[in-house]
Amino acid sequence: MVWLRIRRTLLALPKWQLAVLVMFFGWIFLTFFGPYIAPFPTEVAEPTTRLLPPSGTYPFGTDENGIDILSRVLAAPRTDVVIGVVATAISVLLGAPLGVIVALYESRGGAGSTAFAETFMRVLEVIQSFPVFVFAMVLVAVFGGSVTNIIIAIAFVNTPVFVRIVRSDVLSLVQRPFAEAARAVGNREVRIGFRHVLPNALPTVIVQVSVTVGFAILLTAGLSFVGAGVKPPTPELGAMIASGAKFLEIGQWWAAFFPGIALGLIVFSFGIFGEIMTQVMEPRAVRRETDRRREHALETGGDEPEVPDAPTVTVSRMREPVLTVEHLGVAAVDSRQPLLSEIHLALEAGHSMGIVGESGWGKSVLVKSLLQLLPPELAVTSGSVRYLDHDLLTMSKGSMRAMRTTQIAAILPNAKSQLNPLTNVGDMLRSALQAHEKIRAKDAEVRSIELLEMVGIVDPAQRLSAFPHELSGGMAQRVCLAMALMYHPKLLIADEPTAGLDVTIQRQVLDLTRTLAEEAGTARLIITGDLGIAAHYCDTVAVMQAGRIVEINETERLFDAPRHPYTRHLLDCVRV
Amino acid sequence: MRLALYIGRRFLFLIPQVFLISFITFVLVRLLPGDPARLSLGPLAPESSVEALRAKMYLDRPIPEQYVIWLENAFQGDFGESWVNNTQVADDLISRIPVTLELIFLALFVVFLVLVPLAIITASRTRNWIVRIFQNVTFGYGMLAGALPDFLLGLVLIFFLFAGAAGLMPAEILPGPEGRLGILDFEPPFVTGSILIDSLIAGDFEIFWSGFMHLIMPVFTLSFVYGAPIFKMLRSQMEGALKADYTTYAEAVGLAPTIVLTRAARVAAGPTLVITGVVVMFLLGGAVLVERVFNYVGLGQYAINGIVTADYAPIQGFVCFAAIFTMLVYLAVDLIHFAMDPRIKIGGTQA
Repeated sequence: MVWLRIRRTLLALPKWQLAVLVMFFGWIFLTFFGPYIAPFPTEVAEPTTRLLPPSGTYPFGTDENGIDILSRVLAAPRTDVVIGVVATAISVLLGAPLGVIVALYESRGGAGSTAFAETFMRVLEVIQSFPVFVFAMVLVAVFGGSVTNIIIAIAFVNTPVFVRIVRSDVLSLVQRPFAEAARAVGNREVRIGFRHVLPNALPTVIVQVSVTVGFAILLTAGLSFVGAGVKPPTPELGAMIASGAKFLEIGQWWAAFFPGIALGLIVFSFGIFGEIMTQVMEPRAVRRETDRRREHALETGGDEPEVPDAPTVTVSRMREPVLTVEHLGVAAVDSRQPLLSEIHLALEAGHSMGIVGESGWGKSVLVKSLLQLLPPELAVTSGSVRYLDHDLLTMSKGSMRAMRTTQIAAILPNAKSQLNPLTNVGDMLRSALQAHEKIRAKDAEVRSIELLEMVGIVDPAQRLSAFPHELSGGMAQRVCLAMALMYHPKLLIADEPTAGLDVTIQRQVLDLTRTLAEEAGTARLIITGDLGIAAHYCDTVAVMQAGRIVEINETERLFDAPRHPYTRHLLDCVRV
Repeated sequence: MRLALYIGRRFLFLIPQVFLISFITFVLVRLLPGDPARLSLGPLAPESSVEALRAKMYLDRPIPEQYVIWLENAFQGDFGESWVNNTQVADDLISRIPVTLELIFLALFVVFLVLVPLAIITASRTRNWIVRIFQNVTFGYGMLAGALPDFLLGLVLIFFLFAGAAGLMPAEILPGPEGRLGILDFEPPFVTGSILIDSLIAGDFEIFWSGFMHLIMPVFTLSFVYGAPIFKMLRSQMEGALKADYTTYAEAVGLAPTIVLTRAARVAAGPTLVITGVVVMFLLGGAVLVERVFNYVGLGQYAINGIVTADYAPIQGFVCFAAIFTMLVYLAVDLIHFAMDPRIKIGGTQA
């Protein structure tokens, strides 16, 4: 799996990054073999060849001791890179486990663990508050400027960084569903920490490692530059730059220039290497592949000839439709992969239509394209979306904005993640009201309380100051519902309105939605993976497969006499 | 109420933290090689007078006692004496701290003036040509700033602008690396220690201009190098926030674009703020190197000289100041972050 990802990442890399990768391995090579391939001795002064400009014999010139600069640059990674890598490795190996342990202990709760965690963090803060550079300088001055001491100093100042990063990552990760799941299955806390949570914190750690290695190399060079690091004659870039800097102003530029370039390139290639590693670590990098699978499915799935995929809804009693979608197609912008094609829909005023299908067949893309909220990577390629007699696709952003909520309202999946974590319920409602009418904050508050009452929230005045993380999923969904229905819109588009809610709450929320919408005469388009919801709450149901609508019919007819094999397949799944 | 509780709690920790800092510094500095009494009097002084000085400096007492004595003196504003320059460390610090702080805060100011707007623009999801241009420019910046050491950038600038025949910049326009002021300029009377403020107080615009011009290079170097982490963090946080569900939802509700943007920015601001706190600490170290390169007489040079000459008192004074300063910056950052983000628990300790 990892190898696959590495290969995929490498293939997807831009050319220049590949070049940097090659350079990175070049530096690694020099770290191992640099001193052996240097054409001249690197530590023996040669007074006769002092400060010679670059020439055929000495491509980078010679330094103040008459030593070939090229040879010293080739030999220097042995010092700089080893110090950076070893020091970073030590700080990760010390810091990461410590961070996990602290976080696990902390997340157990209780007064003892909070007190411990707080004290621990404050002590860590003390260590971190010593300016890294000066602290390393003092450490080196105390223990002497040997390579080992520099490594110890740099590892010491970097360890707290990893403790902090891992701790805060683990703290947020242990709350996530997968850790809960691992706990529910009966894993022990420590095991969860190291087996389930730490790997998820790994991307952050690896990014930090790449930053830290580069930083440690810079620190080494900086220390040597001010004379508190590696001492001459050991080939070390910072010290070389320092000794060359004296001659810079009189025009003898090469002595500081080439080591400087080398230092910059080393740090640069380590940084890019880190970025490439991040891409490798990020499982989302695999996503393009799944998209391709979808495209493939779209080609084969859509070509099934058994049933013509023309909509078969009985339109005899159709009055003026609220929403009309014709020939709608959506594709990815850069790869031109079609995600939706030939979507036809018509939704009558006050009616409700369900769109069902397994996840991954483009239901949410359809919602986003109807709402004009497609991410920039996706674009409508054909067809039209009409609301009453407005063409939504050609409408200006401003007029579309004015129609949102007032005429076309949206409910999007997982209400808790739809609410900005730093905006409380009251502000959210007030800004939604103020976006569409001139209303004073005081009046908006009164209205907000009424709205929360309408959706059955107990103690609405209190809830105004609640932040999303303080709400339950059902409560957040009700807040979203209140916002969706505050202007009695003609059309409500609800994407998985019950995702993440437990079954009793699902029923409550859906019943409430139906009641309120029917009172207001709002037409509903409900996108769901749950056939039961569609059967219970929708007048018509459309079945989506592979980015197409394969069957559309009145609910009862569709369930009694499914025509398309995919519909039958879906129904079979439920009935088993 | 919530904020007051948090502030109280943090200040409670601050006091032991400061003691811990002073103790660590003290022990660390005592470990420095060399006998200060001997160093002070030189290799030829008779052993008896060295003994006498040692007793006078309390060096013959046990370390804890020395620490208590040092602490007592420190409370009275006496941080000891530099035996290299025979000056009071407290006086040295007072005259040099503002110099370095001026550098650091001007650098931060430039970062927020230039890089923060750039980060927000380049994180934008709309892809028009202006955004594209900014994205390309900052892409190069991100690459370069991550790889260029501060002192190297300083040297490169000096080389291209001022060095010999290659120097592109006439000294009349931008002064070379000659410190805070030109050799013919007089320092304004000491009020705050900041050259810009003091010259304005003295009403001397010529000195103000000279001080300003001398600040350009070091401040540019610092903000270029140390702005990168802030820039990168803000951009990636902003990209995340603009892609997040809550931003799409805010659009779906029909909120005005400015509100959508500021609400996303508010979420991105938290981690950026935390990184900024860390950067301030690094800026203090960066100032050490940059001061060296531009011959700027600030705290950094003071510390380097202290370490190179094993001068106890100045190192101690500097390290102690630096640690307490960083501590206060962290504290300020945590307080602002706490006030901004309701998810942080009072007892909690966000990284």
